[in-house]
Amino acid sequence: MDISNQNAQKKTDFKAELFQVLRLNVQTYTILLALIGIWAIFFFATDGTYLASQNISNLFRQMSVTAFLAAGMVLVIVTGNIDLSVGKLAGFVSVVAAYLQANIWFKYLPDQPVLSAILTVIISLSVGASFGALQGYIIAYLRVPSFIVTLGGLWLFNGLILLVTAGKTIPANQPWFADIAQGYVPIIWGWVFGLVAIGFLFWNMFRSRQSKRKHGFELQSIYIDLLATGFLALVLLVYVYNVNNYKGIQNPVLLLAITALIMIYLSNNTRFGRYSYAIGGNREAARLSGISISGMVFKIFILMGFLSGVGGVVLASYVGYGTTAAGAGYELDAIASCILGGTSTLGGVGTIQGAMIGALIIASLSTGLQMMNVAPAWQYVLKAIVLVLAVLADVYFKRKG
Amino acid sequence: MDNDIILEFKNVTKKFPGVVALNDVSFKIRRGEIHGICGENGAGKSTLMKILSGVYPHGTYEGSVIFNGEELQLGASSIQEAGNKGIAIVYQELTLVPTMSVGENVFLGREPVERGSINWNMLYANTREILEKYHLDVQPQVIVKNLGVGKMQMVEIAKALSEKATVLILDEPTSALSETEIDKLMDILEILKSNGITCIYITHKLEELFRVTDKVTVMRDGKEITTQPTKELTQEKLVKYMVGREMKERFPKATRTPGKVVLKVENLQALDPNETTRKVLNGVSFDVRKGEILGIAGLMGAGRTELVMTLFGEYGKIVAGKILLNDLEIKPANARQAIDAGLSLVPEDRKGMGLVLIQSILKNISLPNLDQFASFFRIDADAELKASLLQSKSLTIKTPSLEVAVETLSGGNQQKVVISKWLLSKPMVLIMDDPTRGIDVGAKYEIYKLMNILAESGVAIIMISSDLEEVLGMSDRIMVMCRGHSTATLPIAEATVERVMTLATGI
Repeated sequence: MDISNQNAQKKTDFKAELFQVLRLNVQTYTILLALIGIWAIFFFATDGTYLASQNISNLFRQMSVTAFLAAGMVLVIVTGNIDLSVGKLAGFVSVVAAYLQANIWFKYLPDQPVLSAILTVIISLSVGASFGALQGYIIAYLRVPSFIVTLGGLWLFNGLILLVTAGKTIPANQPWFADIAQGYVPIIWGWVFGLVAIGFLFWNMFRSRQSKRKHGFELQSIYIDLLATGFLALVLLVYVYNVNNYKGIQNPVLLLAITALIMIYLSNNTRFGRYSYAIGGNREAARLSGISISGMVFKIFILMGFLSGVGGVVLASYVGYGTTAAGAGYELDAIASCILGGTSTLGGVGTIQGAMIGALIIASLSTGLQMMNVAPAWQYVLKAIVLVLAVLADVYFKRKG
Repeated sequence: MDNDIILEFKNVTKKFPGVVALNDVSFKIRRGEIHGICGENGAGKSTLMKILSGVYPHGTYEGSVIFNGEELQLGASSIQEAGNKGIAIVYQELTLVPTMSVGENVFLGREPVERGSINWNMLYANTREILEKYHLDVQPQVIVKNLGVGKMQMVEIAKALSEKATVLILDEPTSALSETEIDKLMDILEILKSNGITCIYITHKLEELFRVTDKVTVMRDGKEITTQPTKELTQEKLVKYMVGREMKERFPKATRTPGKVVLKVENLQALDPNETTRKVLNGVSFDVRKGEILGIAGLMGAGRTELVMTLFGEYGKIVAGKILLNDLEIKPANARQAIDAGLSLVPEDRKGMGLVLIQSILKNISLPNLDQFASFFRIDADAELKASLLQSKSLTIKTPSLEVAVETLSGGNQQKVVISKWLLSKPMVLIMDDPTRGIDVGAKYEIYKLMNILAESGVAIIMISSDLEEVLGMSDRIMVMCRGHSTATLPIAEATVERVMTLATGI
């Protein structure tokens, strides 16, 4: 009697705690719920084909270029800056990569596909990082607002794209290079990666609980932690199962996952991340705490340039050619991803995780609407509505909380 | 008789979830008087004012407010409504648009319009009329950002009066003012009074209550403790009412024997970073010893904050002079270098420069000290937490956990977070720029005790304060500044209010 009573007590406690956790994180869930809602609508509208293995596979690959840009953009916006040039920089890198593949290596390194691909990647990433450094230098040390500098960058890269391509399309579908973004992780390795990731999730959960216990912090119910981690693990499993039913995990998605993890770690567990959020939260307080604002902003723009480079390589490899229109509008998708994911335009607040989900929402909308053969004009209108509604919901919940 | 009462609170109670902000408050305010309201932070003063201004509309509180004989029933969107009825508030934080002129600010939202366009001549003429009527010494066409804080306050007052206010509420109006500016404000209050305007004067500063008010209401923990004519009160009595216990001394006593000189500044001269032809520091010399509290006194604009910011490497270019730390010359070019050399700065503007308000206590405390816990790849979260916890406990920061955002803390606790953050960097010299500004009497006392403990442990403390009593009460020696140079350094035994003021005004 006594014990069952206690159990009942525990159960209600658990329920209350669960509701409290849910309420506290309502913002996080609104974005997830929005994603699930969008998927559900398209699932019924397309009689289920929307969530078929092949389409899920495409969906994640579609989001990848924007997501690389968004991963860097979070820190740019968090520090109170903006980068309007990332789309065109990625586009420029993609035509540089295509140009190297089609016109340079073909002549000077014939029959060396591996070496060619490696050289292309190294040079492309360096180009991205260098232009990031150039813009970062002007913003951080010469103190020109980032909005202006990167708007200039957008025009500059557009011009450079036209110069390199001379208005033509350059093929970039050589073996090895094409595999970077068109290839798949072998099915068995897909499972290995998936299981390792799940193992890591649980290990991380227990480690964090242990550390909290050690310092006498109040622990939330283990069931809640298990529920959250278990949910993530389940999503991961479903994803791996699904794409393995088609051809496996796509290389660019794996690359994106690794990049996102590194960026999450960087923003939470290093001085670099801490300083970024402090600068965005209160520039003066950060400065008086001995943080070099200029140095940090400079580094963040180099990182942004580098990630634009990664996006550019993936873009060239995935599309299979470099075009004059490469990367057009990607900067706005990347910014929208961050905002959808909860990054504050006022600075100081924002997560990589959120931006990744934001990018997924945008890709989900685009693919879904395309599958339903919605006219491009209406695709734009619907995207506009979703973006504004999402931020409106965010504002609403913030005011309520 | 009743006609003499302009405003009456009758059993006003205001509850928030978990807190009773006002508990059965009743008192009366007579027409044409200057009525002071004092109490520690959280005593309920601002809640009371928010009811008067309509931030908390009628119906969200119990009890009633009688204004001019009838019950004040402000609607939900009523901040304008309170103004229309003749109640105006000058808030502690100034609410002017810095890029607009004085006139534009005074009539913001109520510009005289003729056939769809603003009649600028009428606007400036009306502004001038108000300014002259109340002897407010400001020009209507000047851009507000070019004014000093004292003049900005006058503009705020003019703005309130332009709405035909009969009751003017001033919320902590002097927290950013210098002594002369405060004098000027006191004069203005007298002028307002002679024009028949009732003033409600909210302040921490007891001496101002005695200078200017006719009556004082003391509040504590949401209750009205007493309302008495000012003449019948003494400073000791007032403090007793406010804190609910007898406070023998405003400043905890300590006897110290300072050690050797830690920081020595010789003839320091530095330029204004915004106006590089102007020397903002023009020959400052002083030294501070191990285990000593050196007070820096001076009027607003004397260069006190500029001096400590220069020492911290975050102000103008040094053109002459030397900074010696333990007999070695240092030239800090930025805050990092100053911190690494062994200096710490608790800045003047706690919210604007001291804290990242949206972040947790933990992140704020560790921000300048992450090098202690971090390698290139990783912050050792355990070590960070341990050190920060130790620091926050020794300073008795009141909070359920270090994960709480500092914006939710009271002013006194916020200041303790700033001090914790700087103590963790184990400074040799701790510079405190107005460390008790805007915090209540109880928290001030704790900060004073803390300063004594730190000095005893061998830290050299430099304290700037606009509160002359505080400088006299806490310092071992006092350096007085006037127009960018140091006029004298007095041992505490030779320092009196008159002497310091004479040196500060440079007569």
